[in-house]
Amino acid sequence: MVAHIEVTVGPDGVVSARTHGLLGERCLDYIAVLEDLLEARTASSEYTDDYTRTHEQASVAQEVRDVDRH
Amino acid sequence: MSVSLILVPLAISAVVAAHASRTGKDGAGRLICHVQTRMRDRALLAEALRYTGADVTVLDDALVANWEGVRATFQRDDDGVWTAHLEGFVDDQRAVEIVTAVDAGYGRLVQGAVLNRLRERAPAAGLRLESESMGADASVSLVFAVEDRV
Repeated sequence: MVAHIEVTVGPDGVVSARTHGLLGERCLDYIAVLEDLLEARTASSEYTDDYTRTHEQASVAQEVRDVDRH
Repeated sequence: MSVSLILVPLAISAVVAAHASRTGKDGAGRLICHVQTRMRDRALLAEALRYTGADVTVLDDALVANWEGVRATFQRDDDGVWTAHLEGFVDDQRAVEIVTAVDAGYGRLVQGAVLNRLRERAPAAGLRLESESMGADASVSLVFAVEDRV
């Protein structure tokens, strides 16, 4: 799946951005990319559903590995 | 992991909206209204003032805007944010209305500058523009495909 970044620039100049399909910690790399591109600073950030899903998957995988060891 | 962000361009300070910070009088007893703004960029401020029909004079340390009956002197504070000092046929409410109108024009100029910057620089950052749309509130959304460079 191709990852996307959606950037919305409001008429007041404030920008919102959201990553889609960037799994793992790759999405964090794009915070600095966007700040540089936009000449802006991040005022707030929050993880989206993909963050939870990725971590749940990682957690399940870890549990499977732990079970395998017993 | 995916993330949602709010980013504020450096041309804008964290101040949410124009507000009257204090009111005083000059030596002749005339009212002077001081309005704190969120604007930081001199060139964009001058352009926004001209959009409102002001006659603008750019000085080394100030911008002076004249409308009919109202004069505003903009000076930077220690954080680089412009504060307006308005005098003439103006009270606190009118002063905030004038600066809010200037701020609206300033916001649109910042929006245009940010969009231009994005369109120009995104390809070099591995972002390929796939679509662009305008919302009912005049916001502009751009969707980029991420090419694996970061």
